[in-house]
Amino acid sequence: MPSALESYPSTHRSWLIAGTVMAVLTILPFVLGQLGRTGEYWLWVATEMVIMALFSLSLNLILGFGGMVSFGHAAFFGVGAYTVALLMKKGGVGFVPAMAAAPLVSALAAGVIGWFCVRRVGLYFSILTLAFGQLIFMITLQLYGYTGGDDGIHGIPRPVLLTPLSYYLVCLALVAGSYLLMRFLTKSPFGLTIRMTRENPERAKFLGINVKGYQLVNFIIAGGFAGLAGGLFTELNRFAQTEFLHWSKSAEPIFASLVGGMYSLIGPAIGSTVLIFLKIIIQQIHQGLVEIWGIILGVILLGVVLFMPEGIVGVYEKIRARRRRPQ
Amino acid sequence: MNRTILDVDNLHKSFGRSAILNGVSFSVPEGEISAIIGPNGAGKTTLFNVITGLYAPDKGRISFNGRNIAGLQPYQIVPLGIAKAFQITSIFPRLTVWENILAAVITHRKKNLDCVTPLSKLAPIHERAQELLESVGLSDFAHYQSGTLAHGNQKRLDIALSLALSPKLLLLDEPTAGMSPEERRDTVTLIKNLWERLNITMLFIEHDMDIVFGISQKVRVLCYGVLIAEGSPDEISHNPKVIEVYLGEGD
Repeated sequence: MPSALESYPSTHRSWLIAGTVMAVLTILPFVLGQLGRTGEYWLWVATEMVIMALFSLSLNLILGFGGMVSFGHAAFFGVGAYTVALLMKKGGVGFVPAMAAAPLVSALAAGVIGWFCVRRVGLYFSILTLAFGQLIFMITLQLYGYTGGDDGIHGIPRPVLLTPLSYYLVCLALVAGSYLLMRFLTKSPFGLTIRMTRENPERAKFLGINVKGYQLVNFIIAGGFAGLAGGLFTELNRFAQTEFLHWSKSAEPIFASLVGGMYSLIGPAIGSTVLIFLKIIIQQIHQGLVEIWGIILGVILLGVVLFMPEGIVGVYEKIRARRRRPQ
Repeated sequence: MNRTILDVDNLHKSFGRSAILNGVSFSVPEGEISAIIGPNGAGKTTLFNVITGLYAPDKGRISFNGRNIAGLQPYQIVPLGIAKAFQITSIFPRLTVWENILAAVITHRKKNLDCVTPLSKLAPIHERAQELLESVGLSDFAHYQSGTLAHGNQKRLDIALSLALSPKLLLLDEPTAGMSPEERRDTVTLIKNLWERLNITMLFIEHDMDIVFGISQKVRVLCYGVLIAEGSPDEISHNPKVIEVYLGEGD
Protein backbone atom coordinates (compact mmCIF):
# COMPACT_ATOMS: atom_id res chain seq x y z
CA MET A 1 0.00 0.00 0.00
CA PRO A 2 1.38 3.41 -0.91
CA SER A 3 2.14 5.23 2.28
CA ALA A 4 3.14 8.65 1.06
CA LEU A 5 0.90 11.52 2.05
CA GLU A 6 0.06 12.38 -1.52
CA SER A 7 -1.55 9.00 -2.09
CA TYR A 8 -4.59 9.72 0.03
CA PRO A 9 -7.23 10.84 -2.38
CA SER A 10 -9.14 13.91 -1.40
CA THR A 11 -12.59 12.48 -1.04
CA HIS A 12 -15.84 13.93 0.21
CA ARG A 13 -15.25 11.85 3.28
CA SER A 14 -12.03 13.64 4.17
CA TRP A 15 -13.72 17.04 3.75
CA LEU A 16 -16.51 15.84 5.99
CA ILE A 17 -14.02 14.82 8.67
CA ALA A 18 -12.13 18.10 8.34
CA GLY A 19 -15.37 20.07 8.62
CA THR A 20 -16.46 18.16 11.71
CA VAL A 21 -13.08 18.62 13.41
CA MET A 22 -13.12 22.35 12.69
CA ALA A 23 -16.67 22.64 14.04
CA VAL A 24 -15.75 20.82 17.26
CA LEU A 25 -12.60 22.93 17.69
CA THR A 26 -14.62 26.10 17.19
CA ILE A 27 -17.33 25.16 19.67
CA LEU A 28 -14.83 23.79 22.20
CA PRO A 29 -13.88 27.10 23.90
CA PHE A 30 -17.54 27.99 24.44
CA VAL A 31 -18.06 24.67 26.22
CA LEU A 32 -14.89 25.18 28.25
CA GLY A 33 -16.16 28.65 29.15
CA GLN A 34 -18.90 27.00 31.23
CA LEU A 35 -16.38 25.14 33.38
CA GLY A 36 -14.91 27.98 35.42
CA ARG A 37 -11.22 27.80 36.38
CA THR A 38 -10.70 24.32 34.98
CA GLY A 39 -12.18 25.54 31.73
CA GLU A 40 -9.77 28.49 31.61
CA TYR A 41 -6.84 26.14 32.11
CA TRP A 42 -8.02 23.79 29.37
CA LEU A 43 -8.61 26.68 27.01
CA TRP A 44 -4.99 27.65 27.50
CA VAL A 45 -3.95 24.04 26.85
CA ALA A 46 -6.11 23.89 23.74
CA THR A 47 -4.47 27.06 22.41
CA GLU A 48 -1.03 25.58 23.03
CA MET A 49 -2.09 22.39 21.24
CA VAL A 50 -3.25 24.33 18.19
CA ILE A 51 0.00 26.32 18.05
CA MET A 52 2.27 23.32 18.57
CA ALA A 53 0.33 21.45 15.89
CA LEU A 54 1.45 24.16 13.45
CA PHE A 55 5.05 23.82 14.63
CA SER A 56 4.94 20.07 13.97
CA LEU A 57 3.22 20.50 10.61
CA SER A 58 5.92 22.96 9.57
CA LEU A 59 8.75 20.58 10.44
CA ASN A 60 7.09 17.77 8.56
CA LEU A 61 7.41 19.73 5.31
CA ILE A 62 11.13 19.01 5.69
CA LEU A 63 10.88 15.60 7.41
CA GLY A 64 8.09 13.51 5.91
CA PHE A 65 7.55 15.50 2.77
CA GLY A 66 11.11 16.47 1.90
CA GLY A 67 12.73 13.37 3.38
CA MET A 68 15.36 15.29 5.35
CA VAL A 69 15.84 15.18 9.12
CA SER A 70 16.35 18.61 10.66
CA PHE A 71 17.48 18.84 14.28
CA GLY A 72 17.44 22.61 14.25
CA HIS A 73 13.85 23.52 13.57
CA ALA A 74 13.40 25.16 16.98
CA ALA A 75 15.71 27.93 15.76
CA PHE A 76 12.95 29.20 13.47
CA PHE A 77 10.29 28.75 16.15
CA GLY A 78 12.51 30.76 18.48
CA VAL A 79 13.36 33.45 15.94
CA GLY A 80 9.62 33.94 15.39
CA ALA A 81 9.08 34.07 19.14
CA TYR A 82 11.79 36.65 19.73
CA THR A 83 10.70 38.69 16.73
CA VAL A 84 7.23 39.10 18.26
CA ALA A 85 8.66 39.65 21.75
CA LEU A 86 11.14 42.32 20.67
CA LEU A 87 8.78 44.12 18.31
CA MET A 88 5.89 44.22 20.78
CA LYS A 89 7.77 44.76 24.02
CA LYS A 90 10.69 46.91 22.91
CA GLY A 91 9.54 48.25 19.54
CA GLY A 92 6.01 49.13 20.56
CA VAL A 93 4.71 47.47 17.42
CA GLY A 94 1.12 46.23 17.33
CA PHE A 95 0.01 42.61 17.45
CA VAL A 96 -0.87 42.23 13.78
CA PRO A 97 2.33 43.62 12.22
CA ALA A 98 4.44 41.78 14.81
CA MET A 99 2.70 38.52 14.03
CA ALA A 100 3.13 39.16 10.30
CA ALA A 101 6.84 39.84 10.79
CA ALA A 102 7.48 36.59 12.69
CA PRO A 103 7.19 34.20 9.70
CA LEU A 104 9.08 36.62 7.47
CA VAL A 105 12.06 36.98 9.81
CA SER A 106 12.11 33.22 10.42
CA ALA A 107 11.95 32.54 6.70
CA LEU A 108 14.90 34.88 6.24
CA ALA A 109 16.85 33.03 8.94
CA ALA A 110 15.90 29.73 7.29
CA GLY A 111 17.14 31.10 3.98
CA VAL A 112 20.58 31.88 5.41
CA ILE A 113 20.92 28.69 7.47
CA GLY A 114 19.33 26.50 4.81
CA TRP A 115 21.68 27.80 2.16
CA PHE A 116 24.51 26.07 4.02
CA CYS A 117 22.61 23.01 5.22
CA VAL A 118 21.15 21.78 1.91
CA ARG A 119 24.66 21.60 0.54
CA ARG A 120 25.04 18.38 2.49
CA VAL A 121 22.84 15.30 2.50
CA GLY A 122 21.76 12.74 5.07
CA LEU A 123 23.44 12.79 8.44
CA TYR A 124 25.61 15.78 7.51
CA PHE A 125 22.54 17.84 6.71
CA SER A 126 21.08 16.90 10.10
CA ILE A 127 24.26 17.78 11.98
CA LEU A 128 24.51 21.13 10.22
CA THR A 129 20.93 22.01 11.19
CA LEU A 130 21.75 21.03 14.76
CA ALA A 131 24.90 23.15 14.77
CA PHE A 132 23.19 26.22 13.32
CA GLY A 133 20.25 25.78 15.68
CA GLN A 134 22.58 25.77 18.68
CA LEU A 135 24.48 28.73 17.23
CA ILE A 136 21.28 30.80 17.19
CA PHE A 137 20.55 29.57 20.73
CA MET A 138 23.99 30.68 21.94
CA ILE A 139 23.73 34.06 20.22
CA THR A 140 20.33 34.67 21.83
CA LEU A 141 21.73 33.67 25.21
CA GLN A 142 24.70 36.03 24.88
CA LEU A 143 22.92 39.12 23.55
CA TYR A 144 21.75 40.00 27.03
CA GLY A 145 21.01 43.63 26.21
CA TYR A 146 18.40 42.72 23.64
CA THR A 147 17.15 39.29 24.62
CA GLY A 148 17.57 39.27 28.37
CA GLY A 149 19.78 36.21 28.02
CA ASP A 150 18.73 33.44 30.34
CA ASP A 151 15.84 35.47 31.76
CA GLY A 152 14.14 35.91 28.41
CA ILE A 153 11.67 38.67 27.64
CA HIS A 154 8.64 38.93 29.87
CA GLY A 155 5.50 40.99 29.99
CA ILE A 156 4.71 41.08 26.31
CA PRO A 157 1.70 43.35 25.82
CA ARG A 158 -1.67 41.77 25.17
CA PRO A 159 -4.11 43.79 23.04
CA VAL A 160 -7.39 44.42 24.87
CA LEU A 161 -9.40 42.64 22.23
CA LEU A 162 -7.51 39.42 22.79
CA THR A 163 -9.28 37.56 25.55
CA PRO A 164 -8.18 33.97 26.05
CA LEU A 165 -11.23 32.96 24.03
CA SER A 166 -10.62 35.26 21.08
CA TYR A 167 -6.91 34.48 21.10
CA TYR A 168 -7.73 30.79 20.83
CA LEU A 169 -9.97 31.52 17.84
CA VAL A 170 -7.30 33.68 16.19
CA CYS A 171 -4.74 30.88 16.58
CA LEU A 172 -7.20 28.28 15.32
CA ALA A 173 -7.97 30.37 12.22
CA LEU A 174 -4.29 31.01 11.46
CA VAL A 175 -3.31 27.39 11.96
CA ALA A 176 -6.21 26.07 9.91
CA GLY A 177 -5.31 28.58 7.19
CA SER A 178 -1.66 27.46 7.31
CA TYR A 179 -2.79 23.84 7.06
CA LEU A 180 -4.83 24.61 3.96
CA LEU A 181 -1.86 26.42 2.40
CA MET A 182 0.35 23.39 3.08
CA ARG A 183 -2.31 21.17 1.58
CA PHE A 184 -2.30 23.24 -1.59
CA LEU A 185 1.47 23.23 -1.59
CA THR A 186 1.79 19.45 -1.34
CA LYS A 187 -0.67 18.89 -4.16
CA SER A 188 0.88 21.46 -6.50
CA PRO A 189 3.67 21.09 -9.06
CA PHE A 190 6.04 22.43 -6.40
CA GLY A 191 4.90 19.65 -4.09
CA LEU A 192 5.50 17.03 -6.74
CA THR A 193 8.95 18.51 -7.32
CA ILE A 194 9.82 18.16 -3.63
CA ARG A 195 8.61 14.56 -3.71
CA MET A 196 10.94 13.95 -6.68
CA THR A 197 13.89 15.27 -4.73
CA ARG A 198 12.92 13.02 -1.82
CA GLU A 199 12.37 9.87 -3.88
CA ASN A 200 15.35 10.07 -6.20
CA PRO A 201 17.47 13.22 -6.11
CA GLU A 202 19.84 11.94 -8.76
CA ARG A 203 17.07 11.29 -11.27
CA ALA A 204 15.54 14.67 -10.44
CA LYS A 205 18.90 16.25 -11.21
CA PHE A 206 18.98 14.61 -14.61
CA LEU A 207 15.51 15.84 -15.41
CA GLY A 208 16.95 19.31 -15.00
CA ILE A 209 15.93 20.03 -11.40
CA ASN A 210 18.14 22.20 -9.26
CA VAL A 211 17.66 19.81 -6.34
CA LYS A 212 19.37 21.91 -3.67
CA GLY A 213 17.53 25.01 -4.81
CA TYR A 214 14.14 23.41 -4.33
CA GLN A 215 15.17 21.87 -1.02
CA LEU A 216 16.18 25.34 0.10
CA VAL A 217 12.83 26.83 -0.90
CA ASN A 218 11.05 24.06 1.02
CA PHE A 219 13.29 24.70 4.03
CA ILE A 220 12.45 28.41 3.92
CA ILE A 221 8.70 27.76 3.73
CA ALA A 222 8.93 25.35 6.68
CA GLY A 223 10.96 27.93 8.62
CA GLY A 224 8.33 30.59 7.94
CA PHE A 225 5.49 28.46 9.32
CA ALA A 226 7.61 27.58 12.37
CA GLY A 227 8.16 31.31 12.91
CA LEU A 228 4.44 31.94 12.93
CA ALA A 229 4.01 29.16 15.49
CA GLY A 230 6.78 30.68 17.64
CA GLY A 231 5.19 34.12 17.47
CA LEU A 232 1.77 32.82 18.47
CA PHE A 233 3.28 30.78 21.31
CA THR A 234 5.08 33.84 22.68
CA GLU A 235 1.90 35.91 22.74
CA LEU A 236 0.09 33.03 24.45
CA ASN A 237 2.65 32.86 27.25
CA ARG A 238 3.47 36.58 27.09
CA PHE A 239 7.15 35.74 27.31
CA ALA A 240 9.96 34.47 25.12
CA GLN A 241 12.85 32.47 26.50
CA THR A 242 15.93 30.74 25.16
CA GLU A 243 14.36 27.34 25.81
CA PHE A 244 12.24 27.96 22.70
CA LEU A 245 15.43 27.80 20.61
CA HIS A 246 17.11 24.90 22.31
CA TRP A 247 17.77 21.75 20.32
CA SER A 248 15.57 19.74 22.66
CA LYS A 249 12.69 21.88 21.39
CA SER A 250 13.57 20.71 17.87
CA ALA A 251 12.93 17.15 18.96
CA GLU A 252 9.30 17.83 19.87
CA PRO A 253 7.95 18.10 16.31
CA ILE A 254 10.07 15.10 15.28
CA PHE A 255 8.46 12.99 18.02
CA ALA A 256 5.04 14.39 17.12
CA SER A 257 5.55 13.47 13.46
CA LEU A 258 6.63 9.95 14.41
CA VAL A 259 3.65 9.40 16.70
CA GLY A 260 1.10 10.98 14.36
CA GLY A 261 2.52 9.65 11.10
CA MET A 262 4.98 11.64 9.06
CA TYR A 263 3.74 10.36 5.72
CA SER A 264 0.42 12.07 6.08
CA LEU A 265 -0.11 15.79 6.05
CA ILE A 266 -2.25 15.93 9.21
CA GLY A 267 -0.33 13.24 11.13
CA PRO A 268 2.16 15.53 12.90
CA ALA A 269 -0.66 17.75 14.17
CA ILE A 270 -2.43 14.71 15.62
CA GLY A 271 0.81 13.42 17.15
CA SER A 272 1.60 16.77 18.71
CA THR A 273 -1.89 17.06 20.23
CA VAL A 274 -1.82 13.51 21.59
CA LEU A 275 1.60 14.01 23.22
CA ILE A 276 0.67 17.30 24.88
CA PHE A 277 -2.59 15.79 26.10
CA LEU A 278 -0.79 12.74 27.51
CA LYS A 279 1.74 14.85 29.31
CA ILE A 280 -0.97 16.91 30.98
CA ILE A 281 -3.04 13.87 31.92
CA ILE A 282 0.01 12.28 33.50
CA GLN A 283 0.66 15.49 35.39
CA GLN A 284 -2.94 15.48 36.66
CA ILE A 285 -2.64 11.90 37.86
CA HIS A 286 0.43 12.64 39.91
CA GLN A 287 2.67 15.70 39.88
CA GLY A 288 5.74 13.52 40.39
CA LEU A 289 5.12 11.65 37.18
CA VAL A 290 6.24 14.70 35.18
CA GLU A 291 9.73 13.95 36.45
CA ILE A 292 9.73 10.71 34.49
CA TRP A 293 7.97 12.12 31.40
CA GLY A 294 11.17 11.47 29.44
CA ILE A 295 10.95 7.78 30.26
CA ILE A 296 7.26 7.57 29.39
CA LEU A 297 7.88 9.38 26.10
CA GLY A 298 10.75 7.00 25.38
CA VAL A 299 8.52 3.98 25.84
CA ILE A 300 5.82 5.50 23.63
CA LEU A 301 8.34 6.24 20.86
CA LEU A 302 9.79 2.77 21.13
CA GLY A 303 6.34 1.29 20.68
CA VAL A 304 5.53 3.56 17.77
CA VAL A 305 8.75 2.88 15.89
CA LEU A 306 8.57 -0.87 16.43
CA PHE A 307 4.86 -1.55 16.03
CA MET A 308 3.31 1.34 14.14
CA PRO A 309 6.02 3.02 12.07
CA GLU A 310 3.45 5.00 10.10
CA GLY A 311 1.99 6.44 13.28
CA ILE A 312 -1.61 6.99 14.29
CA VAL A 313 -2.70 7.92 10.77
CA GLY A 314 -1.05 4.78 9.43
CA VAL A 315 -3.00 2.64 11.89
CA TYR A 316 -6.23 4.43 10.98
CA GLU A 317 -5.61 3.83 7.28
CA LYS A 318 -4.91 0.17 7.90
CA ILE A 319 -8.12 -0.31 9.87
CA ARG A 320 -10.09 1.41 7.13
CA ALA A 321 -8.50 -0.72 4.43
CA ARG A 322 -9.26 -3.88 6.42
CA ARG A 323 -12.85 -2.87 6.97
CA ARG A 324 -13.39 -2.19 3.29
CA ARG A 325 -11.99 -5.50 2.07
CA PRO A 326 -14.56 -8.04 3.35
CA GLN A 327 -17.45 -6.27 1.65
CA MET B 1 26.59 14.75 -43.83
CA ASN B 2 24.53 16.29 -41.04
CA ARG B 3 25.92 19.02 -38.87
CA THR B 4 27.61 18.07 -35.61
CA ILE B 5 25.39 18.11 -32.54
CA LEU B 6 27.92 16.93 -29.96
CA ASP B 7 31.63 17.48 -30.14
CA VAL B 8 33.89 16.02 -27.47
CA ASP B 9 37.47 17.18 -27.60
CA ASN B 10 40.41 15.78 -25.65
CA LEU B 11 38.39 14.93 -22.54
CA HIS B 12 40.27 14.00 -19.35
CA LYS B 13 38.85 12.87 -16.03
CA SER B 14 40.64 11.27 -13.09
CA PHE B 15 39.43 10.11 -9.72
CA GLY B 16 42.34 10.34 -7.34
CA ARG B 17 45.24 8.69 -9.11
CA SER B 18 43.29 6.66 -11.61
CA ALA B 19 42.73 8.34 -14.94
CA ILE B 20 39.36 7.18 -16.22
CA LEU B 21 39.18 9.31 -19.34
CA ASN B 22 42.46 9.93 -21.05
CA GLY B 23 41.92 12.29 -23.95
CA VAL B 24 38.69 11.18 -25.56
CA SER B 25 37.67 12.97 -28.75
CA PHE B 26 34.79 12.30 -31.13
CA SER B 27 31.91 14.09 -32.72
CA VAL B 28 28.35 13.01 -33.25
CA PRO B 29 26.35 14.20 -36.25
CA GLU B 30 22.74 15.22 -35.67
CA GLY B 31 20.23 12.42 -36.05
CA GLU B 32 22.71 9.57 -35.65
CA ILE B 33 22.09 6.49 -33.55
CA SER B 34 25.39 5.13 -32.34
CA ALA B 35 26.87 2.85 -29.73
CA ILE B 36 29.78 3.11 -27.36
CA ILE B 37 31.28 -0.24 -26.48
CA GLY B 38 34.27 -1.32 -24.49
CA PRO B 39 35.35 -3.60 -21.66
CA ASN B 40 34.26 -2.99 -18.07
CA GLY B 41 36.09 -0.05 -16.56
CA ALA B 42 36.72 1.51 -19.94
CA GLY B 43 35.16 4.76 -18.77
CA LYS B 44 31.89 4.59 -20.70
CA THR B 45 29.59 5.55 -17.85
CA THR B 46 32.04 8.22 -16.68
CA LEU B 47 32.00 9.66 -20.18
CA PHE B 48 28.20 9.97 -19.98
CA ASN B 49 28.43 11.47 -16.52
CA VAL B 50 30.89 14.08 -17.70
CA ILE B 51 28.78 14.95 -20.74
CA THR B 52 25.67 15.40 -18.57
CA GLY B 53 27.50 17.44 -15.95
CA LEU B 54 27.52 15.09 -12.96
CA TYR B 55 31.31 15.42 -12.99
CA ALA B 56 33.27 18.33 -14.37
CA PRO B 57 36.06 17.24 -16.72
CA ASP B 58 39.64 17.91 -15.62
CA LYS B 59 40.52 19.00 -19.10
CA GLY B 60 38.91 19.19 -22.50
CA ARG B 61 35.91 20.66 -24.24
CA ILE B 62 32.40 19.40 -24.75
CA SER B 63 30.38 21.40 -27.17
CA PHE B 64 26.71 20.80 -27.69
CA ASN B 65 25.15 22.63 -30.62
CA GLY B 66 28.23 24.83 -30.68
CA ARG B 67 28.07 25.79 -27.02
CA ASN B 68 30.74 24.68 -24.55
CA ILE B 69 28.99 22.84 -21.74
CA ALA B 70 32.01 21.40 -19.94
CA GLY B 71 31.76 22.15 -16.22
CA LEU B 72 28.09 23.15 -16.18
CA GLN B 73 25.70 21.52 -13.69
CA PRO B 74 23.16 18.89 -14.82
CA TYR B 75 20.26 21.26 -14.22
CA GLN B 76 21.93 23.71 -16.59
CA ILE B 77 22.81 21.13 -19.23
CA VAL B 78 19.55 19.18 -19.31
CA PRO B 79 17.37 22.11 -20.44
CA LEU B 80 19.70 22.61 -23.42
CA GLY B 81 18.48 19.28 -24.76
CA ILE B 82 20.59 16.45 -23.37
CA ALA B 83 18.81 13.71 -21.46
CA LYS B 84 20.08 10.52 -19.93
CA ALA B 85 18.33 7.24 -19.20
CA PHE B 86 20.14 5.43 -16.44
CA GLN B 87 22.03 2.13 -16.47
CA ILE B 88 20.27 1.06 -13.32
CA THR B 89 16.69 2.03 -13.95
CA SER B 90 16.13 5.30 -12.19
CA ILE B 91 12.57 6.38 -11.56
CA PHE B 92 10.59 7.70 -8.58
CA PRO B 93 9.54 4.33 -7.16
CA ARG B 94 6.95 5.43 -4.60
CA LEU B 95 5.15 7.70 -7.04
CA THR B 96 2.68 6.34 -9.56
CA VAL B 97 3.65 6.02 -13.21
CA TRP B 98 1.37 8.97 -13.93
CA GLU B 99 3.03 11.14 -11.24
CA ASN B 100 6.46 10.21 -12.59
CA ILE B 101 5.55 11.43 -16.05
CA LEU B 102 3.76 14.52 -14.75
CA ALA B 103 6.85 15.40 -12.74
CA ALA B 104 9.06 15.17 -15.81
CA VAL B 105 6.71 17.22 -18.00
CA ILE B 106 6.27 19.85 -15.28
CA THR B 107 10.04 20.09 -15.03
CA HIS B 108 10.47 20.42 -18.77
CA ARG B 109 7.90 23.22 -18.85
CA LYS B 110 9.54 24.91 -15.86
CA LYS B 111 6.39 24.89 -13.75
CA ASN B 112 8.11 23.53 -10.63
CA LEU B 113 7.63 26.69 -8.61
CA ASP B 114 3.86 26.71 -9.08
CA CYS B 115 2.62 26.30 -5.50
CA VAL B 116 -1.10 26.81 -5.99
CA THR B 117 -2.48 24.98 -9.02
CA PRO B 118 -3.64 21.48 -8.07
CA LEU B 119 -1.95 18.76 -10.13
CA SER B 120 -5.36 17.63 -11.31
CA LYS B 121 -5.94 20.97 -13.06
CA LEU B 122 -2.99 21.03 -15.44
CA ALA B 123 -4.71 20.10 -18.69
CA PRO B 124 -1.92 20.86 -21.21
CA ILE B 125 0.53 18.92 -19.07
CA HIS B 126 -1.87 15.98 -18.81
CA GLU B 127 -2.14 15.86 -22.60
CA ARG B 128 1.59 15.68 -23.06
CA ALA B 129 1.93 13.09 -20.28
CA GLN B 130 -0.72 10.90 -21.89
CA GLU B 131 1.07 11.14 -25.22
CA LEU B 132 4.37 10.09 -23.62
CA LEU B 133 2.79 7.13 -21.84
CA GLU B 134 1.37 5.96 -25.13
CA SER B 135 4.65 6.37 -26.96
CA VAL B 136 6.36 3.92 -24.58
CA GLY B 137 3.30 1.68 -24.22
CA LEU B 138 2.57 2.27 -20.54
CA SER B 139 -0.93 3.76 -20.74
CA ASP B 140 -2.49 0.78 -18.99
CA PHE B 141 -0.14 1.16 -16.04
CA ALA B 142 -0.68 4.86 -15.35
CA HIS B 143 -2.02 4.37 -11.83
CA TYR B 144 0.38 1.66 -10.72
CA GLN B 145 2.99 2.55 -8.17
CA SER B 146 5.99 2.66 -10.48
CA GLY B 147 8.28 0.66 -8.18
CA THR B 148 5.98 -2.36 -8.55
CA LEU B 149 6.28 -2.58 -12.36
CA ALA B 150 8.25 -5.32 -14.12
CA HIS B 151 11.80 -4.36 -14.94
CA GLY B 152 11.18 -3.89 -18.65
CA ASN B 153 8.31 -1.52 -17.93
CA GLN B 154 10.37 0.42 -15.41
CA LYS B 155 12.96 0.91 -18.14
CA ARG B 156 10.24 2.16 -20.46
CA LEU B 157 9.20 4.64 -17.80
CA ASP B 158 12.82 5.73 -17.36
CA ILE B 159 13.05 6.35 -21.10
CA ALA B 160 9.71 8.19 -21.08
CA LEU B 161 11.00 10.47 -18.31
CA SER B 162 13.92 11.40 -20.54
CA LEU B 163 11.67 11.84 -23.58
CA ALA B 164 9.47 14.23 -21.60
CA LEU B 165 12.34 16.69 -21.85
CA SER B 166 12.06 16.67 -25.67
CA PRO B 167 15.79 16.09 -25.84
CA LYS B 168 17.85 16.63 -28.95
CA LEU B 169 20.40 14.13 -27.69
CA LEU B 170 19.46 11.09 -25.63
CA LEU B 171 22.13 9.13 -23.80
CA LEU B 172 21.14 5.58 -22.92
CA ASP B 173 23.40 3.81 -20.47
CA GLU B 174 23.00 0.07 -21.07
CA PRO B 175 19.30 0.23 -21.84
CA THR B 176 18.88 -3.54 -21.69
CA ALA B 177 21.09 -4.43 -18.72
CA GLY B 178 19.67 -7.18 -16.53
CA MET B 179 16.68 -7.90 -18.76
CA SER B 180 15.22 -11.17 -19.93
CA PRO B 181 15.80 -11.88 -23.64
CA GLU B 182 12.20 -11.05 -24.38
CA GLU B 183 12.25 -7.71 -22.52
CA ARG B 184 15.52 -7.00 -24.26
CA ARG B 185 14.03 -7.47 -27.71
CA ASP B 186 11.05 -5.27 -26.84
CA THR B 187 13.25 -2.51 -25.47
CA VAL B 188 15.48 -2.50 -28.53
CA THR B 189 12.45 -2.32 -30.80
CA LEU B 190 11.14 0.56 -28.70
CA ILE B 191 14.42 2.46 -28.94
CA LYS B 192 14.62 1.94 -32.66
CA ASN B 193 11.02 3.07 -33.12
CA LEU B 194 11.51 6.17 -31.00
CA TRP B 195 14.64 7.05 -32.93
CA GLU B 196 12.87 6.73 -36.25
CA ARG B 197 9.80 8.62 -35.12
CA LEU B 198 11.16 11.42 -32.97
CA ASN B 199 14.28 12.46 -34.84
CA ILE B 200 16.47 12.37 -31.73
CA THR B 201 20.19 11.81 -31.79
CA MET B 202 20.87 8.73 -29.68
CA LEU B 203 24.06 7.56 -28.10
CA PHE B 204 23.99 4.35 -26.11
CA ILE B 205 26.32 2.15 -24.14
CA GLU B 206 25.74 -1.55 -24.66
CA HIS B 207 27.41 -4.88 -24.09
CA ASP B 208 25.13 -7.05 -26.20
CA MET B 209 26.79 -7.11 -29.62
CA ASP B 210 23.63 -8.26 -31.40
CA ILE B 211 21.95 -5.06 -30.28
CA VAL B 212 24.99 -2.92 -31.03
CA PHE B 213 25.44 -4.22 -34.53
CA GLY B 214 21.71 -4.46 -35.08
CA ILE B 215 20.64 -0.86 -34.59
CA SER B 216 23.64 1.46 -34.57
CA GLN B 217 24.88 3.41 -37.54
CA LYS B 218 28.23 3.92 -35.97
CA VAL B 219 30.16 2.21 -33.18
CA ARG B 220 32.87 3.75 -31.04
CA VAL B 221 35.16 1.61 -28.94
CA LEU B 222 36.47 2.95 -25.63
CA CYS B 223 39.29 1.15 -23.89
CA TYR B 224 40.92 2.38 -20.66
CA GLY B 225 39.94 5.96 -21.24
CA VAL B 226 40.99 6.13 -24.87
CA LEU B 227 38.91 5.83 -28.01
CA ILE B 228 40.61 3.07 -29.99
CA ALA B 229 38.28 2.72 -32.95
CA GLU B 230 35.30 4.35 -34.60
CA GLY B 231 33.36 3.17 -37.62
CA SER B 232 30.39 1.36 -39.06
CA PRO B 233 29.35 -1.87 -37.36
CA ASP B 234 30.87 -3.80 -40.19
CA GLU B 235 34.23 -2.02 -39.92
CA ILE B 236 34.31 -2.45 -36.16
CA SER B 237 33.51 -6.14 -36.22
CA HIS B 238 36.50 -6.71 -38.51
CA ASN B 239 38.89 -4.33 -36.81
CA PRO B 240 41.79 -6.46 -35.49
CA LYS B 241 42.55 -4.14 -32.58
CA VAL B 242 38.95 -4.24 -31.40
CA ILE B 243 38.82 -7.99 -31.74
CA GLU B 244 41.94 -8.29 -29.66
CA VAL B 245 40.93 -6.09 -26.73
CA TYR B 246 37.23 -6.58 -26.66
CA LEU B 247 35.32 -8.77 -29.04
CA GLY B 248 37.64 -11.75 -28.67
CA GLU B 249 38.61 -14.33 -31.28
CA GLY B 250 35.82 -16.81 -30.82
CA ASP B 251 32.97 -14.37 -31.41
